[in-house]
Amino acid sequence: MPVLRKVIDVITMKSDRPMRRLAAYYAILALIVATLTFFFPHEIARIAAKGLGDVPEGPTVLTDALSSSPTASVSFGPGSLFDVTVTTILILIGALALMLPVTWVYMSARPSGGQHNQNVVQTLIILPLVVAGIVFIVQNSLALAFSLAGVVGAVRFRTTMRDARDLVYIFLSIVVGFAAGVQSLAVGAVISIVFNLVLIVTWHYDYGRNMLMPTAAAQWSRPLQALASPTGDHQIPDRDLVLSLTPEKAEALAERFNRVRKTVGRKNKPRFDSVLTVIADDVPEAQRRVEQVLERMTKRWMLDEVVTHTGKPCEIYYLTRLRKKVPRDVVLTAVHENANGVITSADLESGAPVEEIKGNGSKG
Amino acid sequence: MRSARGVVLLFCAMPFAAACRDTPRAKAAELSSIASARRQEMSRRLAAADAAHNTVVPVAEWIMPPQLREISGLALTSRGSVLAHDDNAGRVYEIDPKTGILLKGFSLIGNQKEDFEAIAIAGTDIYLMASDGKLFRFREGTDGQQVQFLVFDPGLKKQCEFESLAYEADSARLLMACKRPLDKQLRELRIYRLPLPLNRATMTVQRIPIGDVIGSNQWKDFRPSDMTIDPTTKNYVILASHEKGIAVLTPDGEVVRSVPLPGDHRQPEGVAITRDGILIVSDEANVTPAAITLYRWYP
Repeated sequence: MPVLRKVIDVITMKSDRPMRRLAAYYAILALIVATLTFFFPHEIARIAAKGLGDVPEGPTVLTDALSSSPTASVSFGPGSLFDVTVTTILILIGALALMLPVTWVYMSARPSGGQHNQNVVQTLIILPLVVAGIVFIVQNSLALAFSLAGVVGAVRFRTTMRDARDLVYIFLSIVVGFAAGVQSLAVGAVISIVFNLVLIVTWHYDYGRNMLMPTAAAQWSRPLQALASPTGDHQIPDRDLVLSLTPEKAEALAERFNRVRKTVGRKNKPRFDSVLTVIADDVPEAQRRVEQVLERMTKRWMLDEVVTHTGKPCEIYYLTRLRKKVPRDVVLTAVHENANGVITSADLESGAPVEEIKGNGSKG
Repeated sequence: MRSARGVVLLFCAMPFAAACRDTPRAKAAELSSIASARRQEMSRRLAAADAAHNTVVPVAEWIMPPQLREISGLALTSRGSVLAHDDNAGRVYEIDPKTGILLKGFSLIGNQKEDFEAIAIAGTDIYLMASDGKLFRFREGTDGQQVQFLVFDPGLKKQCEFESLAYEADSARLLMACKRPLDKQLRELRIYRLPLPLNRATMTVQRIPIGDVIGSNQWKDFRPSDMTIDPTTKNYVILASHEKGIAVLTPDGEVVRSVPLPGDHRQPEGVAITRDGILIVSDEANVTPAAITLYRWYP
């Protein structure tokens, strides 16, 4: 594996972008298959597309049911013990090679903050091997298929998935296992490539995100708004919600609140009243340009958090205290102008009291 | 670094491993040796069968590979081999019945899916027949080849269900025995005769009362599954799967004899007779695996 990683690093010039790394992996895989096909054309044809139709197999010696002599049981060509062994090894390696990138995609393409399940990762590797083995044994035998159903029925295999998307990965691993088992790895390869491609693209563009769902910035601004409330009438979070937190989550929340406490200080007036969210690829350059504007146009500001993503633009969060004379839109316009294309987008969410905003609105 | 060296070594070893595979010449030699041994064994069994003239026992039974699980029709080639086909797909396989070697397989272009029921060879043309009477004409292909074909519909779909097809060389016509007339009142065996080149206008029908065909057997009906021409007498030999019987008719429609099929056959679907007097019966997989069984045939 380190060799493969090094080769992928060389091809992708150490890029962290998943799409490039996947393309590099499939290119290497195609090269290996092409080399193997050159030297072992029949063996590769047998596992790549046998289930699809007519692969010429040459003469085959049929079994003589009336004789038990050695001649009668000689199996010539595909079907000999050696061939079956080689075919089995090849389909298992093939299934493994096709599932590896799927596990990488599974581990990488998670929604922000989402953790992958190690059990699922290992299942994705092992399940297709088992399925391929089963299908290879069962294929063309209805009797065996029924027997298998009986055996499998005796083994309970029920696991509740935390994420419905995990199920899709499991289904894919079954499909690849089937493809390998019926010796049609070409189909499995195409399915694996398209699956990974679609997943990476949907993850990259956050496809299907509900526009009404709060963004990360909005999630920040809400507590800030509550903190900046002049009445000081802070709502107590739902009791059940608090009780449903795991110790890890409670710890993370406590850490977050400590940070907020440090940020807002011990004075009556809030130190900050808005959050500036900047999306950019080049974080240092974006920071430099944004901070120039903040220095010039805000009363005070502070870099709160930089969230980095592999293969996606990074998010930079600033806590700011706007000057009363400088409206929000002016700050945003200045940020965009000074960025000169370095940033993808910027948004400023204010935690100022509602009445104040209304008042500004009526004046305008 | 060590693993990189291992990968390089593996790639270097690949050409040597490839060189160690069986060469086509070695495979051909092995095949030839097996064929020779089986021919000798077959001669011995035929001699034994001839010696015991009154007891009909199989002289060979070849188990079919998975792709011929639903073996249906049989047709004898001029080389002495038989062409067999799958029930569901337009794939044809050549089998040497005396050595039990599947020589090659080819298919109709586009992997045609039909309910193929019978096959016949007329000179250089091969005809595959679907259960609705449709005929697919094509030439013999090489191993793994997909061949072009032409379809002829004799328009008998509303009259009969077909499973039998044979080529009568003397009159240059195809024979199609009706398995089940769609008009259930008819108690007759119908044989449609289609002179070549195929033309609906020249088609004729031979009708034989079903009672004559059944004869003294305990059958309620006689539903042909396949038919062939006895190369010695030129009689029609018709196989009925449901009744597990064989009827021999002269070309004029006179019933020579109708007897139960020898041996234990679960689902006999095809029949052929070689020039040296061997009856070949193909069985679809049904509890037992698909197979072709050879008997000594006495006209």
